[in-house]
Parts: sequence; C-alpha cells; structure tokens
Amino acid sequence: MISAAGIGLRSPHLAEIEIDRPAAGFLEIHAENYLASSPALAAVERLRADYAFSVHAVGLSLGSCDGLDEEHLARVAALVKRLEPALVSDHLSWSTFGGRYFNDLLPLPYSEEALAVVVDNVQRLQDALGRRVAVENPSCYLGFAQSTLSEPAFLSELARRSGCALLLDVNNIAVTAHNLRLEARDWLSLPGEAIVQYHLAGHAVNDADGEPILIDDHGSRVKDGVWALFGDVVRRFGPRPTLIEWDTDLPALDVLLDEAARADRITSTAGGLHAARAA
Amino acid sequence: MPLALPDLQAAFAAHLAGADRPDLAAGVLGDAIPSAARLRVYRHHVQESLASALAATFPTVQAVVGSDFFRALARAFVAENLPRQPVLAEYGEDFPAFVAGYEPARGLPYLADVARLDWALNAAFHASTDERLAAADLAALPADRLLSLRLVLASGTALVSSAHPLDRIWAASQPGAPEGTVDLDAAGAHLLVLRRPDDAAFVVLSPPEARFVDGIALGKTLEEAAAWVDGEFDLTAGFARLLNLGAFAALQ
Repeated sequence: MISAAGIGLRSPHLAEIEIDRPAAGFLEIHAENYLASSPALAAVERLRADYAFSVHAVGLSLGSCDGLDEEHLARVAALVKRLEPALVSDHLSWSTFGGRYFNDLLPLPYSEEALAVVVDNVQRLQDALGRRVAVENPSCYLGFAQSTLSEPAFLSELARRSGCALLLDVNNIAVTAHNLRLEARDWLSLPGEAIVQYHLAGHAVNDADGEPILIDDHGSRVKDGVWALFGDVVRRFGPRPTLIEWDTDLPALDVLLDEAARADRITSTAGGLHAARAA
Repeated sequence: MPLALPDLQAAFAAHLAGADRPDLAAGVLGDAIPSAARLRVYRHHVQESLASALAATFPTVQAVVGSDFFRALARAFVAENLPRQPVLAEYGEDFPAFVAGYEPARGLPYLADVARLDWALNAAFHASTDERLAAADLAALPADRLLSLRLVLASGTALVSSAHPLDRIWAASQPGAPEGTVDLDAAGAHLLVLRRPDDAAFVVLSPPEARFVDGIALGKTLEEAAAWVDGEFDLTAGFARLLNLGAFAALQ
C-alpha cells in the first residue's frame, strides 16, 4: 500500500531515502533550507521524479506590518518555480521586523488591524508565486488582551478575504489550546473546504514558573491526545494529505514512516466515518 | 490603549533582543503562567535556536571549545548580531571576527582562524557547482595567451591562511579523531577550500602555491601571479594541481 501521509525530508535521512525510496505520500522541505545551492538541493531535484513535494516556508513573515521582504520572496518564488511542489505554505505569524530575522513564529494579536496586514501579505505572496498558498495555524505561548477575534475566526476571515488555503496543524491546536486555556474543538469551526493539508508532530511539556507549558519542539512521537484530536479533525473535515514533522532529536527514518503509517490508519477509519456522515 | 501593530512588533523585537518592555507585557494575557514567563518562551527560543544554527555552521569551533563554552560564545554573538534574513546557512559571516575579539577565548589565539575555516567550508557547501575550468579547455591556447589569462576562482573556492597549524587542529577536532595532541607552535598552514560535487573540503597548499592563488584572486594574470610568488614555484606543476582540484571557474 502506498502511504498517503508524508514526512519531512531532513538532511540526515537524505541518502537513505535516495537509496531505498520508501513509500511516502509526499516529502516536505523547509523553503529556507534550500534557497542556497547545496548537495541537498541537488538530491531533492533527483527525488522529484519519485515523490510529490510540499514546500513549507518558515521565514516569509506573513504577519509583518512592514510587508514582505521582496528579496526573500524572490528567492522563494525561484525555488517554487524550480521544484513545482504540490503545495506552498507558511504560518500565521511574523518573524522579521526592522530588517532583523528572529527565527521564530511570533504571535499576532487577532485584530482587524492585523487581519488587514496578513491579507495584504498573503495576496502579495500569491501574486508573486502565481498560485494559491496555504497558511498554517501557529503554536502559541501567549495571547494578546487586544485580540477581538478567535484564531479560527481570524483564519476563516483570512481565507475568505485573500482566497488562501489553510493548513491545519493538529499538534499546534493542542499546544495553543492548552497554553491559552482554549478548547481544541473551537478549531473544528474552520471552513473545511479551505483546508488542504494536516500537520502532526510531537511536543514537549516544559515548566513555566511551576506551571506546565506545551512547547512545539517537533522532537518526539505524536502524543496520544493529538492522535485523538486528529481523529476528530478527520471525522469533521475528511481526509487530507498529512505530514509527520520531526525537527529536533531526529530519529531513524523508520520511526517517521511508522508515524506516517499510524496517520494513514486513522485517516482510513475516521475518513470512512466522515464519508458515511456526508452521504 | 493597546499598542498599534507596528509598535507592538517593535516592542516585541526589543524584548527578543533582551530589553525590558512593560508596555508589551501589559498587553499580554497572564494567569498561572504570568505574561512575563510567556514572553520569555519566545526570547529563549530565538536565542537558543540561533545558537544552534551557529553550532551547525561552526562545528569545528564547537568541537575545539566544547558545547558549554560554545553556547556562551554563540549567545553573546546572537545578542549583538541577529540575522538580517531568514536563510540560516548564510548567518554568521561576522562570527569569526567576533570570536577574535571575544575576551574569554583570548587563550585560544587560533580559534578565530578555526571559525574562518568553518565559514569557508559552509560557504563552499552552499556554493554553486558551475562549470570548472579543465585542462582540455586550455589545450588549444598558445603559451603566450595562456600566460596572459586572468582566471576567476570557482564558486566556493577560498584560501584560508593561518599562522597556526589549522589543518591539524581541524583534523584533531573531527568526530572519531584519534586521541593525541596538536603541537600548536608548529608552522602555520594555507588551506584551499573547495566545493566538490557532494561536499566541501580543503587541501593544504605550499606557501608559494598559496601566494599564487592569492595573486589570481587579486586579478593578476598567470604570468604576473607566478612572478609575484617569492621563492621556488613551479608554475606548470602548481597550476596543473590547482586545475585538477577544480579551483578555477570555466572561461567566460
């Protein structure tokens, strides 16, 4: 059986994937790791014949009030043109300000002011790439008192106004809901027709002044609660291409493929229930 | 009054760089986890993830000083030198100069050269594999034309010269290197860093070869560069070696 779930392609696994060509629904790369030439980029170009690719950007900074960095945008556009991936995505967050890059997905207040900024930036990105992009719900460690919209309401309105797609990261829902004392089921109100991909990853539980805080570190297997939520998501919205993300303490490739197989089993069961309900 | 988005992002950026911004914290919801602790999660991630990026780009520096010392060094650099763009493979150009001036590393006078070598290897790894000049390209040229050529170093090719035995320090710092000591008072080294098809690597050059490469990099013709070398230099053998290494870009 060809696995429908995809895995993140990380450089320590490159040689093994090139030699073994394991079954995987698709491979995902971070755009920013492939903008400079490298032997890894050459390997990706060879793998394109056998795998669909998803290009996930982490540095476009769609929430920056000073607009997109045109130089960076041009490099991402050139990579997208070169690889012709099935999907291009980035996050509902910001990471640059005043010409400095912070290498983090920083939170936005969910206000009309911020919504207008993100809509403009997403439209600029879609114009530059000549295609629709997907925007992912971030993992949050704080909320702003000035927010007037919930995150799902903000994302729904962003998709409606910009025409963008949505990427639903199920682990991020669990992390944000725990940290901000929200209900994970609130995200089930998103417009399902806009959702084009799911993400799954592990998170860590850290201590913040004596209280547990969930950290989206992509450094372990998907937690049981997140698998359960993934089942709810698939029952609500139906199956979508699903990515297993793992970025720190990278395990053997088999572990990633095993997680992908587990996602496929849930998709197959819960997706069947979704289809039965829709019929 | 809540901060307008440009003011909020400016305050957040200042917080990430280490500033205390009560105006920002006042607008962040807190509970059992106070707003200050929530903000610290982001500052911590920015500093640690960028320190990790530097560790990936400067592995030999980290191997030489150990990870605790390296973390402190990297954090000190990050605090003053946040990236200017999101490609982390291109972050750290100023790190070797920072290492040279880093007071706690004063007892390791070769450490900045190790950083320069790591940076050159990183730059070569990410250099393009544009066509290299091959001996066959020159076979048809008459000798006087050949001597008057001004060659360009291939993308990623860089000369790293040190007053310290940099090649031995590098070799002793590799994972799995045999136990042993490096004579730090040994003669210096000239290393030519190159982009190869699947990686980046360096070779050791003799002082005349290094001087010759330096001359080429300065835009001298082959004849001028050879004449610029002080001491014994066999132009035919030296040039053939560099050509075989793929050190030069193809003729335009």
